[in-house]
Amino acid sequence: MTWPDAIQEIIDEFQEIDDQFERLEVLMDFSSEVNELPFEEWNDSNLVKGCQSIAHIEVDIRDEKVWMKAAADAKMVQGLQGILSIAVNGSSPETVLKLTPNFAEEAGILVSLTPSRSNGFRTMFDMVQTRVKEAM
Amino acid sequence: MKAEFPIFQRLVNGKKLVYLDNAATTQKPSCVIDAMSEYYSSSNSNVHRAVHTLAGEATEGYEACRKLLKQRYNCDYAVITSGTTEAINLAARAWGECNLKSGDAIVLTEMEHHSDIVPWQMLAERIAIELRFVPVENGKLDMDALDVALEGAKLVCVVHTSNVLGVRNPVEDIISKAKAVNARVLIDAAQAVPHEMIDFKELGADFLAFSAHKMCGPTGIGALLISENAFAEMQPFMGGGDMIETVTLQGSTYQSNEHKFEAGTPRIAEGFGWAAALEWISKVDLESHHVRLLEIARKVAKQLTEKGMTVYSTLNPGDAAVVSFTHPSIHPEDFARLLDAQGIAVRTGHHCAQPLMDKLGVNGTIRASFYLYNDESDASNFLSGIDRVLEAMA
Repeated sequence: MTWPDAIQEIIDEFQEIDDQFERLEVLMDFSSEVNELPFEEWNDSNLVKGCQSIAHIEVDIRDEKVWMKAAADAKMVQGLQGILSIAVNGSSPETVLKLTPNFAEEAGILVSLTPSRSNGFRTMFDMVQTRVKEAM
Repeated sequence: MKAEFPIFQRLVNGKKLVYLDNAATTQKPSCVIDAMSEYYSSSNSNVHRAVHTLAGEATEGYEACRKLLKQRYNCDYAVITSGTTEAINLAARAWGECNLKSGDAIVLTEMEHHSDIVPWQMLAERIAIELRFVPVENGKLDMDALDVALEGAKLVCVVHTSNVLGVRNPVEDIISKAKAVNARVLIDAAQAVPHEMIDFKELGADFLAFSAHKMCGPTGIGALLISENAFAEMQPFMGGGDMIETVTLQGSTYQSNEHKFEAGTPRIAEGFGWAAALEWISKVDLESHHVRLLEIARKVAKQLTEKGMTVYSTLNPGDAAVVSFTHPSIHPEDFARLLDAQGIAVRTGHHCAQPLMDKLGVNGTIRASFYLYNDESDASNFLSGIDRVLEAMA
C-alpha cells in the first residue's frame, strides 16, 4: 500500500530497527510530536475510552484542515499519539477519513505493544476519524 | 531446577527469559506437560460412567488428583473447580444462598482479590446481606477493626496471602476469632499453597480455595476444600450430568460426595496435569525455597528503594516473595514494556485488587513475583533491566 510521505517515513524508521528496546525508545520519542492538550481541558468528552492508561484527544478542523491535540499519562501512549498527529495534522478531513490504522501494523509498531495498547491505538485512531466526521 | 521447565530454553525478544510474573501464573515442569499429553495420546476418554478400559484409566488418573489433594492438604472433601474464582463462587452459591438470609453479615477485607469480593457483592444483590470490609493499614489488616466487624457475622472471607503485596495475613488468629462467634470461614489460598504447606483440618477453616496453575500445575483447574460441617450445609447450584444419582421426569436426586458440585464433564487432562504437579511439588522443600526467595525479594526491594522506587511489599517472615513497586514518574506500563523488551516478564496494573490500589493511593503497581525456579541471576538480570529503563527514561 502507498502511504503519504510522512507516514512512509515512520514505517521506514521502525522497520530499520531490530531491537525491541530501541523500537520502544523511538516510539516514545514521537511523544514530542504531540500538540499537548492542557490538563485543564481534559474531560469525559475527549477521554479515550477503553484505553488502559489515561488518554485524551481533541480534534479541530481549522481552514479545512485537521488538527489534533492530545495527552496521556504513559509515554508510549504519548508516542502513539505523536505518530497519529503526524498522520493527521494539516491533512484535509477527506484525507484523514481515507486513512486506515494499518500503517502502524506495517511499521511493526503494534508488534511491540500488548494487545491492550495496540487496541488502544486503534481506539484513538477511530476516535479521531469519528470526531472529524462529526465536525464536517 | 530451570532445566525441568522447557520454557526457559526459549528467548524472549532475543534475550534469556527472566520470568517474574509467578503470582499471576507459574511455569510448568516437563512432567506436567507430559502427563497432559500422555492422557490425550493414550487414555483420552470421559470419566466415571463408562466401563471400557480408556474410561477406567481416565477416571483413575482424574480421581488421583483429588486423592492427592486430600492427602496433601488433609481434608475430607475436595471439590474440583476451574480455579480459585469458581471455587469462591461455588461457596457463595452452594453455601451462601442456602445459609444466609437478608440482613446477615459477611466479613471481607480491603486486601481481597476481586474474586473474593465480586461473588459476595452479587450474593448481596440477591439476598440483601451486609458486607463488612476490614481496612488495611500500612499493608496489614486492622485486627481491631476485625473484632468489631465480626460481631454477629455469619461468614468471614479472607485472603491468606495477598497477590499484590505478598503479605501473609494472620489467618490462624482470624479463624480463631471467627470460630468464637460461630462464623464460617473461607480462605482464599491462591497465593498461599504455592509457598507453604497447609493442613486444612489443623487450620480449622471451612473453605479453602486455590488454583493449580500457581503451583506449577495447569490452568483451568483448582479446588475448594470443604469442612465436614460446611459440606453438610451445602446444596448443588449447577445441575447436569455426573452430579446426579437418579433422574426422572418428576425430579432428580444428587450424589452424596463432591461430584454433586461438579456437573458436566470435568477438566480431565488438567486433572492428570495437576496430579503430576502435586507429585512433583511434594518432592520440593517449600520451606527452604520460601526462605531463599524471600531473601532474594528483600535484596531486590532494597535496591529498588535505593534507585528511587516506592516499594509497597513489606516482605516480613512468612510473606510471599512479591515485590510491588512504583516509580515516581515512569508509568508502570511503560516500565514493564521496556523490561519485556529485555526478556523480563513482570506484571503491571491493579492486579485484580482495585480497592487495595485505592488504599495505597495508586492506579497500579509493577509487580515482580518470584517462585521456586528463580534464583540470584534472575534478580541480578532484573535489576540490570531496571537500570537500563531508568537510563532510557532519564
